[in-house]
Amino acid sequence: MSVISCRHLTRRYVQRGIDPVVAVDAVDLDVEPGTFVAVEGPSGSGKTTLLGLLAGLEVADEGQVIVLGHDLAHLSGTDRARLRQRQVGIVFQSFGLIASLRAWENIALPLALAGVPAGERRRRSLAVLEEVDLNHAAEARIDELSGGERQRVGVARALVIEPAIILADEPTGSLDEGNAAGVLVLLTDAVRRRGASLVLVTHDPASAALADQRFRMRDGRLTAGVPA
Amino acid sequence: MNLVSHTFRLVLREPRRSLAALVGVTIAAALISSVLLFGTASGTTVTRRALAGLPVDAQVVLGPTSDANAALTIVRADPAVKAVTAFELAHFDSAARNSAGTATQTSVGVLIGLDPSYSATTGLFQTSAGSIAPGQVAISRDLASNLGAVPGNSLAFALPGGGSVTLTVSGIVSIAGADLLLGPIDAAHRAAGANSPVNVAVMSRADLEAQVLPRIPATATAADPARGSGATGGTAPVFTPDPAVRRELHIQLDHAQLPGDPVAAQTWLDTVRRRVEKQGAGSLQWVDDASASLEPLAADLAWGQILFVFLALPGILLALALSRLAADATADATRRHAALLRARGANRNQLRRIFMGATVVTAGVGSVLGVVLGTAIGLGLFGAELISAGPVEAILRAGGIAILLTTILASLSAVLPLRAQLREEIAAGRQELQRARAPLWQRLFLDVLALVAGVVVYVIAGGSGIHPVLNAEGNPTVTLALTSFLAPLLFWSGGTLLLLRLVGGVLRRSSWLAKALGRLLGAGGELAGRSLTARAVAASRAIVVLALAVSFATSVLVFDATYRQQQRIDAELTLGADLKAVPSSPATVADVAHLAGPGVGTATPFVDRVVYVGPEAQDLLAIDSAVLPGVAPLADSFFQGSTAAGAMRALQARPDAILVSAETAKDYSIVPGDRIRVRVPDASGVLKTVEFTMAGVALEFPTAPKDAFLVANLSYVAAQTGNDRISFVLARANGDAGSVASTVATRLGSGWQVTDLGTTTARIANSITSVDLSGLVLLDVAFAVSIAAVGVALFLLAGLSERRRELATLVAIGAESRQIRASLLGETLFVGIAGLATGLVIGGLVGLALLQILAGVFDPPAEVAAIPAGLLAAMTLVVIAALGAALALADRGLARLSVVAALRER
Repeated sequence: MSVISCRHLTRRYVQRGIDPVVAVDAVDLDVEPGTFVAVEGPSGSGKTTLLGLLAGLEVADEGQVIVLGHDLAHLSGTDRARLRQRQVGIVFQSFGLIASLRAWENIALPLALAGVPAGERRRRSLAVLEEVDLNHAAEARIDELSGGERQRVGVARALVIEPAIILADEPTGSLDEGNAAGVLVLLTDAVRRRGASLVLVTHDPASAALADQRFRMRDGRLTAGVPA
Repeated sequence: MNLVSHTFRLVLREPRRSLAALVGVTIAAALISSVLLFGTASGTTVTRRALAGLPVDAQVVLGPTSDANAALTIVRADPAVKAVTAFELAHFDSAARNSAGTATQTSVGVLIGLDPSYSATTGLFQTSAGSIAPGQVAISRDLASNLGAVPGNSLAFALPGGGSVTLTVSGIVSIAGADLLLGPIDAAHRAAGANSPVNVAVMSRADLEAQVLPRIPATATAADPARGSGATGGTAPVFTPDPAVRRELHIQLDHAQLPGDPVAAQTWLDTVRRRVEKQGAGSLQWVDDASASLEPLAADLAWGQILFVFLALPGILLALALSRLAADATADATRRHAALLRARGANRNQLRRIFMGATVVTAGVGSVLGVVLGTAIGLGLFGAELISAGPVEAILRAGGIAILLTTILASLSAVLPLRAQLREEIAAGRQELQRARAPLWQRLFLDVLALVAGVVVYVIAGGSGIHPVLNAEGNPTVTLALTSFLAPLLFWSGGTLLLLRLVGGVLRRSSWLAKALGRLLGAGGELAGRSLTARAVAASRAIVVLALAVSFATSVLVFDATYRQQQRIDAELTLGADLKAVPSSPATVADVAHLAGPGVGTATPFVDRVVYVGPEAQDLLAIDSAVLPGVAPLADSFFQGSTAAGAMRALQARPDAILVSAETAKDYSIVPGDRIRVRVPDASGVLKTVEFTMAGVALEFPTAPKDAFLVANLSYVAAQTGNDRISFVLARANGDAGSVASTVATRLGSGWQVTDLGTTTARIANSITSVDLSGLVLLDVAFAVSIAAVGVALFLLAGLSERRRELATLVAIGAESRQIRASLLGETLFVGIAGLATGLVIGGLVGLALLQILAGVFDPPAEVAAIPAGLLAAMTLVVIAALGAALALADRGLARLSVVAALRER
C-alpha cells in the first residue's frame, strides 16, 4: 500500500486582476514505503506547492491526497498538524531553524510539540545529532553554525521523530557543491536505515539521480521519467 | 524616477504599513486637540464660576444731580441686564460709643442704605445677629469689635462736612463678599489695591436718606484713610477723592449671554458698559466689577492649559512612540517595497526620500484624522462649554497646533527606525539575532543622569507649585512655578529610560522565562519565552509602552482622586458637612427632626453666635460634641496637642468646657483648666456673661472663620443664656449630596435654605481648582488604554511580521494552532503582567509627585493621596480586555499566514 497517493491533485492561485495560476495541475502520484522519489523541475514549476499539498500545508482545490491511509481533505487542521508532528519529517531549502534556539533545541522542537518529556527530548536529539556528525555542536547557536551544519541540524530535526515519510524541498539548494553532496548522502542513508520514504523536490539532476523513481514537473503537470 | 508619485504609491500600496503608522499619529493628534479643547471649555467653566460667585456684576454710579428714575429706566432697558437694585453709601469720618463716661472711637467707615429686597437679590449683608430694624443700624463685626458695641448700644457717626448722627445698633451684619462695592470708585485707586472699609453700618435706604444724607453737604468728599492715619505721603500717589455720598444702581447681568473665553467676556462687558454710558450721556458712570474679576483669569487659564497639557504629555509622547512600534510591525513591508524599488533602479538617496516622504504623508494624514477624532470627542464631552467659547475658533486653534506638533514629532520618531531598516535592506538582508551596540543614551547613562537631575531640581524647587495669591484688585489668582514641572518631567523621562534598560537586560539574560511559560502553557509557552528573549528589544519596548500607558492612567486617576478628596475636605471645612440647612425663621434643636428622611444620615444642630471675649467679637460655635464627629469632618490636625476624638471627649467631660483658637489662647494666656468669661447674647439679644472652662485649642473647625472662634457645648450655652435658637443644621448625606440637598430642600420648603458640598466647592474654588477635571481624566485614561492596546497589538503584529518564516516552520513541523496561539498568549501574558505591574507602581509614585504641583492650593493641604481602588481595578480590567482584543487581532493575522508562501521567502 502506498504511503502517499495522489489522484487528480490540483491547486490554483487566484489573484485579483490576473488569470488564475494553476500551480499543480491534475497530478497523480504514488509513493511506496521505503522508496526515494525525486521530483525535478525548474523554478516556478509547482514543486514546492506539490510538497505543500503532500504535507497538508496547502489544501487542494480538486483531487485527493491520501497520506499513510489518511485522506487529508477529511482531516482537521489539528489532525494534519499531528500527522506531521509524528510521522512526516520536512527538510527545507533555507533550513527553517529557529534562531533563538540552540542546535539540539531545534532538533527537539517536534518532540516538544508532541509532548515528549524534556529528558527524553534531549536524549533523542543528541542521538540524532551524533548520527549527522554534529554531536560537538549540540549547544551551538544557529548563527554560529556553517550552512552545511545548519542543514544537518535541519535533517536531524526531520529524523528525530522517526518519520514514515520525509519531504525535502531543495535541501541542497543553499549549499555549496561539497556540502550539498554530503547532506544528500546523509539524508538518503538515514532514510534508508529507517525504511522511510523520501520525496525530494529539486532542480538538480545530480540529486535526483540518487532516487528510486524520478518525476518531472513543468507548469504544474507531473510526468514520469528522466527529463530530456 | 518620480519620487512624489512613488511616495504616494508607497502609502497606497502598502495599506498595512500605512495604517499601522497612522494609528499612533492619530491617537497623539486626537489627544492633543481634545486636551486643548478641554482647556478652552474649562475657560468657559472658570469664567462662569468666577462671575457666578460675584454678587454684583457692575455698579452704576449716579451723578450728584442725576435723575435716579431715568437712569433706572436706561439700565433696565439694556438687553444684557437681568436685575437692578438701588444702593446708597455715605462715608463717615469716625464712629464712637460712649459707655459709662468712657468714649471709644474708631476711624473712617461707611453707612449703607439698602432696599428690603437687596440682601435677597445679591446675597450680601446678611445679619448674623439681630436685624436691620427701622431707624437703627446693623454693624459689621469689625466695627462691633473696634467699638466693643453690642445690639442696643448707641453709636455717634461723624460725617464729612462736620455733621453727625447717632444711631442705635440693632444687629450684626456680615460684609463678606462686599469688598468691591464698598471700596473706592476711582479706577486708579482700585488698581492700586485700595483696602475696602471694614467699619460698616447698614440701614434701610429710606432711613439713610432721611437721617444721614441731609447732614452731608453736596460737595463733601470722603476722608482719605491714608492721610488720616498720618502717612507722610511724600511719594504716595494722589487719587481722586471718593464723594462723601454715592448713589448707585447695582446690576446683575444675564450670564447666559457671556462668551466663555475670559478675554472675549471682558470685551462683551465693555460693549455693555459703553452702550449704557452712551444712553446715560454723562449722567452715570459704569464701574465694571465683573471685568475686574475676570482680569486674572486669562493668565490663570494659560497656566491651567500648561497643567492640562502636562498631565496629558505622557500620553502624547506614548502615542508618538507607537510610530516606532508601527515601524517595527511593518518592517517587512518596508524592506519588501525597498527591494522592489531598488530592483527598479532607485538609489540609496532616492529610497530614503521616498520612504521619508511617505512617513511625512502618513503623519500628516494621521494628524488630520486625529484632529477630526479629537474634535468629535471634545464636542461630545464639552460641547456646551465649547459652543459658548466660540467653537470654530477653538477647533481651528486646537487643530492647527495638533497637526503641526504631531506631524513634526511623528515624522521624526518614524524616520529613525526607517533609516535603520533601509540600511539593512541596502546591506541585503537582516540578521535575526543582531548583536546591536547599546544605544547612545544607554552608553551615556542619560537615564541615571535624568533621575539625579530630577532629584536635584525637586529638592531645590521643593514646595514650589501652584500658589493662590491676591492680585491688586484683591481677587485670588494663581502663580505657578515652571520648575515644578521640570522635576516630574525628568523623573518620567529618566524612569522610562531606566525601565527600558532594566527590562531589556532582564529579558536578554534570563532562560527562566521559557521554563516558566512552558510550565504554564506547554510547548507554546516555551516558544513564547524563547521568542521574548530573542526579541528582547522589541519586547522591552512593548512592556515600557504598556507600563507607561498604565502609569499615565494611574497617575492621572490618583491625582484626580486626591484632587477631589481635597476639594471635598476644603468644602466640608467651609460648609461643615455634606449638607447645611439654614432656617429663615427662628428654629430650635427640636427642628432638627425636620431634616430626617430619605437620603439624610445623621443630622446635628449648630449654633454660630457672635460673642465677646473682653472687647473682642468672636464666633462661638455651640455643638453637640457626641453627634458632630459623625456628621462633620474633624481631622486630628484641627486640634493643638490633641486628637479630634480627644478634643470631643474633653468637651463631653464638662458641660462648661470650651475650645479656644490658638490666637485667643495666646492673646489671653489661657491654658486648659482656666476659667473664661464670655458675653453671649440671650434670647432677647442682651449680652449675658457665661463662664466656661478652657479644655483645649482648636486651630480649625468646620464652618469656623480662620482667626477667632470658640467651640462649646450647645446644651450648656442654651441653658446658660435661655436661648435655644440654633443657627443651622448640619447633616451627612447618604448618597450624592447634590441630589439629597434637592430632596431635602423640597421637603423643608421655603422656610429653610439648603446648601450642599457641590455648590460650596464651586463657590470657594479659585480659578484652577474650580475646573472639573473629570473630562480631562476620562480623556487621558481612555487614550492611555487605547495606547496600551495598540502598543501590545503592534508588538504582537511585529512579532508575526518578523517571525513569519519561523511560525511557518513551526506549522510545517507539526505545531498545532493552539500551540501557536499559546505562544502568542504567553508573550501577551508576560508583556501584560510586566507592563501592568510596573505601570501601576510607577503611576502611583508619579501621581504622588504630581500632587506637589498643587501644594498650597488646598487648605488643609493633602496629607495622604487618595487611591481610587475601584477605578484602578476597572482601568486594569479594561486594559486586560484591550490586551485580549490585541491578542485576537494577532490571532487573526496568524490565521491568514500562508505557510508555503512564508517558507518560500528568503
